[in-house]
Amino acid sequence: MKAARPLGGASADPSPGMMAAPVHTAHEGGTLVHRALLYRSPEQFTTVAGRFLQDGVTSGDATVAIVSPAVAEMLRERLGDGAGPVEFVDAGSWYTAPVQAMAKYYERTARDWWPQGRLRVLTEPVWDGRSELEVREWLRHEAVVSRALAATPTTMMCAYDAVRLPSGIVAAAARAHPELADADTVRPSPRHADPALFYAECNAHPLDPPPLSAARRAFAAGELPMLRTFLNAEAARLDLPEEQMLPFVLAVNEVATVIIREGGGYGAVWVWSHDGELVCDITDPGGRLPDHFLGHLPPAPHQTAEATFWAVRRLCHIVEIRSGEGPDGGVGFRGVDAGTRVRVHMLLR
Amino acid sequence: MSDSGAGERPGTSPGVSYPSGERPATLREAAAARSAPVRVPRTGPDAVIPVGDVVPGDHLCLIYDSDAERYAVLAAYLRDGLAARHRVLYLADEDDPDAVLARLSAAVAASGVPGTARLDLRAAADAGDLVIRPIVDAFLATGGFDPDAGAATLAAEIDRARAQGYAGTRITGETSFSLRGWPGGDRLADLERQGRPGRAPRFRAIALCQYDRRWFPPDRLRALASCHDGRVRVDDLYDDGVLRITPMFTPYGLRLAGAIDESTLPPLRDEIRRAAGRAGHFCLDLSDLEFCDLAGLRLLAGTGTGGPGRQVLLRGIPDYLELMMRIGGWDVTPGPPRQGAPR
Repeated sequence: MKAARPLGGASADPSPGMMAAPVHTAHEGGTLVHRALLYRSPEQFTTVAGRFLQDGVTSGDATVAIVSPAVAEMLRERLGDGAGPVEFVDAGSWYTAPVQAMAKYYERTARDWWPQGRLRVLTEPVWDGRSELEVREWLRHEAVVSRALAATPTTMMCAYDAVRLPSGIVAAAARAHPELADADTVRPSPRHADPALFYAECNAHPLDPPPLSAARRAFAAGELPMLRTFLNAEAARLDLPEEQMLPFVLAVNEVATVIIREGGGYGAVWVWSHDGELVCDITDPGGRLPDHFLGHLPPAPHQTAEATFWAVRRLCHIVEIRSGEGPDGGVGFRGVDAGTRVRVHMLLR
Repeated sequence: MSDSGAGERPGTSPGVSYPSGERPATLREAAAARSAPVRVPRTGPDAVIPVGDVVPGDHLCLIYDSDAERYAVLAAYLRDGLAARHRVLYLADEDDPDAVLARLSAAVAASGVPGTARLDLRAAADAGDLVIRPIVDAFLATGGFDPDAGAATLAAEIDRARAQGYAGTRITGETSFSLRGWPGGDRLADLERQGRPGRAPRFRAIALCQYDRRWFPPDRLRALASCHDGRVRVDDLYDDGVLRITPMFTPYGLRLAGAIDESTLPPLRDEIRRAAGRAGHFCLDLSDLEFCDLAGLRLLAGTGTGGPGRQVLLRGIPDYLELMMRIGGWDVTPGPPRQGAPR
């Protein structure tokens, strides 16, 4: 394993155990190395990334590059014959939504990569054309990776263009990654934040209230059949693609069920469209729903809320959870401190 | 059972429309009405009527594939008839009424139909509320079968019950005698046709004709069935307008129609526990399940872990359930074996 870390960077302690939920994989026992490469020129990127991949091939690791086709071409050129064992994955198809990307990690690591030994993966997340919400959720994704893959034999280097990208993204990357790499060195990130803290910071961003034009419907025990009828009608009115109708209704129905069974017992939904998305708020005026990686980690048996949100997150494009005042610092939305608000986003295109 | 005419049927919801001026009292009722499963037609040869919904004037056939199905229907028919102070006339293929009574009592007690475990058929027979008549005596006393004489015999029984103060008459008869070569046995349809509505308006009785599908040639069975107002089926175990749970007999199990969600999960859990407690092998038919949430999926997937020697088969899994199973991770864990949708 030492050979896999050619630049001799300090081993960052993976996230301390704030979460009760264990990650269930057949490959527990490794240590995640999660490193940001903040490059200042294409040459610097290809040099460091090329060496990173080359070392993986030399060590016999499962070596993967999740990058754009153009970058893949550059790296192939750089590696020459050595590129043979490297698996190149198109970043465009990988980075569709944070939870989808995580789902692919769960699937590919367990099935294809860890069985070969250590996984060494180079990634360059996609930032072009991302909305403010998507940027926030893709940064949160780095904290989820740190938490979810903490005890696995994985070395991950995430490339960020320090010149071209907005400074906020680069600064957040430095907080989300325990290690920073540049041309010659790997060093601990001085501003690294524990994944749980980073995750909570993402939840501190308040949600705007639903627009006045949003369609609203209250629900309580025994009323979910009518809620589903309402959701189907609203989704059809807003032109949600046919194949997204069922995932949308299933997801909202699940959140409402949690509120009825384990939350305050009743609530309301708001549905509207915004910027190419169907947005739906599900609120519980009385119940608390602490979101510490809720639904991001594979649920253990009998963790019903975890299992529910594991499914809900996978059914939707993005899911945001804000719940009362508490250690996660979240609020329902501006001006409302109590209760819980779950906001699901579905793509309309 | 009330004396309402055959056109009104207590317990069958009309669907979406409410009578004018009558609004649903609760959201729940409105939801139930809106999502009520499509009902089969009330009358005509394609009608399938739950046995608990039969009304005076009905002439229905019970086409069964197994004795379990047959006696589940008959048990409810007898239970409701005796409770409504109807006289029940049972026309049996066997010659010995005592043997028939013993067979019927045992089968009804074992049927598992609610309210029949303690039904005392012997007491009913002693009181004259249940009359068992061998067909050889009721229909074949002249050495052959005469449909008109048969109809006259039944009419006399109905009149006698009315004269004795019964609220109605329920007839049920076995029909296999018609296959055994008695002269005129092939004219059973002529008797059945006399039971059709409009032909015999004074017959405000209920008739349930038992046909064993294993014995009748399909085309002949079709022709005989078409002489009835419809088929009778076993009662639903549960139906709140959102979820309907119906017993199945071949294979043994439950047919689920409608939606499994927050409100219908508890009754479903109860019915699965009850039904699965009665037999090792067990089938859940999901082909008419329109919606199922995660907890419902967990319940369905968990039925396979009930114990050793139990085989649970999920039949007719809709596409969206496969999607849920993939998301929930159940497609990779060993759960109940599944069978594709029959449609």
